[in-house]
Amino acid sequence: MGEETKPFTDFQIDALKEIGNIGSGNAATALSQMVGRRVDMSVTKVLVLPADAIAGFLGGIDKNVAAVHMPIYGEMLGVALIFFPLERLSELSSMLIGRREEDPSNLSELGQSAIKELGSILTGAYLSALFRFCHLQLIHGVPALAIDMAQAVLDTVLVELEQREEVAIVIETEFLENEKQLTGSFFLLPEADSLKKFFNAFSKALGLPTDA
Amino acid sequence: MPEREWAVGIAEIKTARSPDRLTAYGLGSCVGISLYDRRNKVGGLAHVMLPSSLLHPQISVPGKYADTAIEKLLKALLEEGADLTALEAKLVGGSNMFASIIPQAVPIGMRNVSASRDKLLEKGIPVLAEEVGGSQGRTVFFSLFDGRIEIRKLNQPIQWI
Repeated sequence: MGEETKPFTDFQIDALKEIGNIGSGNAATALSQMVGRRVDMSVTKVLVLPADAIAGFLGGIDKNVAAVHMPIYGEMLGVALIFFPLERLSELSSMLIGRREEDPSNLSELGQSAIKELGSILTGAYLSALFRFCHLQLIHGVPALAIDMAQAVLDTVLVELEQREEVAIVIETEFLENEKQLTGSFFLLPEADSLKKFFNAFSKALGLPTDA
Repeated sequence: MPEREWAVGIAEIKTARSPDRLTAYGLGSCVGISLYDRRNKVGGLAHVMLPSSLLHPQISVPGKYADTAIEKLLKALLEEGADLTALEAKLVGGSNMFASIIPQAVPIGMRNVSASRDKLLEKGIPVLAEEVGGSQGRTVFFSLFDGRIEIRKLNQPIQWI
């Protein structure tokens, strides 16, 4: 567990970080408008992981999380997942709806839709940053929320992708509002054929040789 | 001898003997299929992702599909000395965690469950118990000592089948 694969070079990871920074800048603006207060966002970590190491990255096989799930369509197929640690979910939800949430595993309907909206804002911002960088036209579907074991979320997503050896591009983001620090992790899991497409478009944008 | 625990990952198949335990962490839409021979106290667990190997005839990971996983698990158990007529099955998992706004006709989790039932019926292995469907993930601990399966879900009391 926790083992990092390196289909990407440091140079490419830096480029992904840059995409992450552009995306989170835009997401911060959108989020600040949504909550009516200033929220800062920054990218703390970017890495590429094999799918079976995701649970380890999130804190272990029996870790409980809130996960927003969105299908990705367009020039690449896959799934976007945004994980929020369950122990900070009440705070996150309270920040979004301006009302105290007590039980993170039993959020109010408003709290749930705010978390989904946050997932949707982040995903939209990262996808449009990707578009600007490597001209891959991507859109996302309707967000769904699950509060459950991280491993069960991954199990379900791997079934959806019909693979057990997927690679995930991870952008870990930190939100800062009034000194309050909250994190979320954005995962992009391309389908096997789409990963190659992504890699090629990305390499081309960086002026690197491509496989195709 | 202290009991050992063997984790069965996605698309894996494992067998074990009493008093060990076979474990599958975080079954979402995957299904855990257990087979147990109570007389010889030997059994196995498969962690399957998809209903049928006919979906991808060119890919050969038998543990991925309900039909081929049951065949392989059965073969492994017979090699371990299990008695075909004594085998009993249990099914856990097959949930629909991201019930979307646009409902799928039959979610993949339940398709995994019915494919498993069909294959077991074809093999003449009775399904003793099931804990399937719903919207929550499950972690299972299968005891080869007595064939009981402990099921854990987030914020739910522990269940046994």
